[in-house]
Amino acid sequence: MRTEAAKKTNNLPEMLGRNWIALFIVLLVAFFSLVTRAFFSFDTVQLIFFNGTEVFLLAIAELFVIITGGIDLSVGFVMGFATVASSKLMVACVALGLSPFWSILAASAVTLLIGLVPGLVNGWLVAYLRVPAFIATFSMLGVTHGISELLTQGVPTKNLPALAGDIGNGSFMYVAPGGVISFFSRPQVARGQTVLAIIPNMVVLSFLFIFLFAFILGKMKFGRHLYAIGGNIDAAIRSGINVKRDLIKAYVISSLFASLAGLSYVMKYITGKPDAGANMLLEAIAAVVIGGASMAGGSGTVGRTILGALVIAILETGLRIIGMQTFMTYILVGVILILAVIIDQVFPNRNR
Amino acid sequence: MAVERTLKDARFKYISPGSGGFFQTSLGRFSARNWALLFLILMIVVFSIGSSGFFDIVNFQNIIHLSTGAFLLAAAELLVVITGGIDLSIGYVYGLSSVLGAKVMQILYAGGAAGMPVWQVIALGCLAALSVSILPGLANGVLITHFKVPPFIATMGMWGICNGITLFLADGFMPVMGAPSEINAIGNSYFLYIDPSKSISFFTKPSYITQADIRSILRLVPNSLFLSLAVLLVLGFVLGRTRFGKHTYAIGGSMDAAVRSGIDVKRHLIMIYVIASFVSGVAGLFNLFQTGIGNYTPSGANYELMAVAAVVIGGASLTGGKGRILGTAVGVLVLAVLENGLQIIGVSAFYRYIGVGVLLTIAVIIDRAFPDLF
Repeated sequence: MRTEAAKKTNNLPEMLGRNWIALFIVLLVAFFSLVTRAFFSFDTVQLIFFNGTEVFLLAIAELFVIITGGIDLSVGFVMGFATVASSKLMVACVALGLSPFWSILAASAVTLLIGLVPGLVNGWLVAYLRVPAFIATFSMLGVTHGISELLTQGVPTKNLPALAGDIGNGSFMYVAPGGVISFFSRPQVARGQTVLAIIPNMVVLSFLFIFLFAFILGKMKFGRHLYAIGGNIDAAIRSGINVKRDLIKAYVISSLFASLAGLSYVMKYITGKPDAGANMLLEAIAAVVIGGASMAGGSGTVGRTILGALVIAILETGLRIIGMQTFMTYILVGVILILAVIIDQVFPNRNR
Repeated sequence: MAVERTLKDARFKYISPGSGGFFQTSLGRFSARNWALLFLILMIVVFSIGSSGFFDIVNFQNIIHLSTGAFLLAAAELLVVITGGIDLSIGYVYGLSSVLGAKVMQILYAGGAAGMPVWQVIALGCLAALSVSILPGLANGVLITHFKVPPFIATMGMWGICNGITLFLADGFMPVMGAPSEINAIGNSYFLYIDPSKSISFFTKPSYITQADIRSILRLVPNSLFLSLAVLLVLGFVLGRTRFGKHTYAIGGSMDAAVRSGIDVKRHLIMIYVIASFVSGVAGLFNLFQTGIGNYTPSGANYELMAVAAVVIGGASLTGGKGRILGTAVGVLVLAVLENGLQIIGVSAFYRYIGVGVLLTIAVIIDRAFPDLF
């Protein structure tokens, strides 16, 4: 816990040390802006958030579990399962004669419901059978991977309603030349004129969920219980918190956000495949740790996790714009992940 | 002493399923302790009944040959898990070593045009791959001991770094070709070739047998088995019989006690991570010898998690201080036989992912239920 005295320190290096992510993001943006002129623009900002939607969602998924002192290895493949389930369901609903809109809505709702199951099982294994989180969620990784491979038989799903792509790649608001504003649908304009698109739909949707759960984590009793469980589980039990129930809830929320990431993937890329989120585990955990959470539990906030995820999203999009390949992202994420922990040890107590 | 035993019995009675009975008998304890081995035997019996192709020396050698990498990676992971840590980078050190070895050989060999003797090309490729594969372990060890980075994070960062460097060497997502074809002969040949009617030869097939009708002769003991056995025996000896091994268990059992009893814990941990990384490098290099191309680790391959699974099924505990090489080998075989058997009896191989998950959870629940057994 930060004390009042520590809050008021005017020590500059310490302040920088505590807020190094913000500083780092500024440096990163400055670097990319100097290297390419195209980087510093409103479109790039939108692109960073658009490309990074899944990383943001998976990072929040991981955060809820890491706060309790656990780890969720299954998020990437729960996301893959959600892409497969939702796209299969959409195709099935359309085949049943539902309109594209209702098919997408129904499929998404059902997927989010099914997506709670892996979290329930994870939570039950961890809370009631005392299986270590690492093992329980790795088992779930195997199970969800297997089920989605069985569903797809190795072929990515296709023939999704075109509307899915329109929603996933559309924006919330469009400004046509002459100040005409329209929502959700791109206005028809003459050739050569550009329409300003503001905030991709998927970003709006994701951040609605993220804000909701930031409120739950930061302001509600349940959120405080999660920190208590991660801080000292024995003390949490003794103080009368229903630890088992809260643990299950944390894993269910994690699984819910992983499914949301899957839905976002389906809408954006109009396909579903089991390994859609296979390489995102590193990024999700890295975002949480860069955001200052401790793997031992009890710390971490949604805001800082978003900053951590933003670092990764800026790196990915920025490196893509300046023409560096994916390998650079892996190396830099690895380096920053390790540095984050070391910096946090030099400047402790910066969280909560 | 007597009180202690009573307490132990009481705890045992309280926790064991079905309260007593079978699991209190020596047979019951034996089967709980060796459930993985029993399960392995059960699987072999079921698959042998289920399909005619399974119970066959050729297939068994296949299983062993194809799980060389898994044996070595699991052995590497076991060392780290015994100390109470975890190494998530080994799967990517494996890919790095394979790709780097192939790249060096490709450049030196240049399709046979460079004029360097083939053995020299191979030796230099191996040297490069093996010496580089020490570095991630060294970095892991130093970060964990001197910078107090949790093993999970340090090795996960190293996963990203190794994966990035591997993809850089592999030019994006291209397997690296162009290593001399002689390496395949080393990686894929057998110790003994028996032509029932004519001759016996060692290490190379009889010259009159073409690759096409290689199946007509009996091949015994793949070279890969020697490698796996050598690594497992050496590490088994080190863990079970040497002071180094005792210190490893001591650190995993209680870090504080190990420090107080004068073990140089930092140096020891660094060595453990270096050995783990080196053994994974050997595994990756052998993958190059088996396939003839440098393979990067595909995303979602989860080699390191599979290694953890084998280690845990083999009776080790992620909290440290526990685990044996023999158990780990059984753990690897359980996963390998599961995969191979499902393929042979024609059940979709995708069930194996589910199988791994279920087995892993069973392993931990059994471990929880019988804390005193192992």
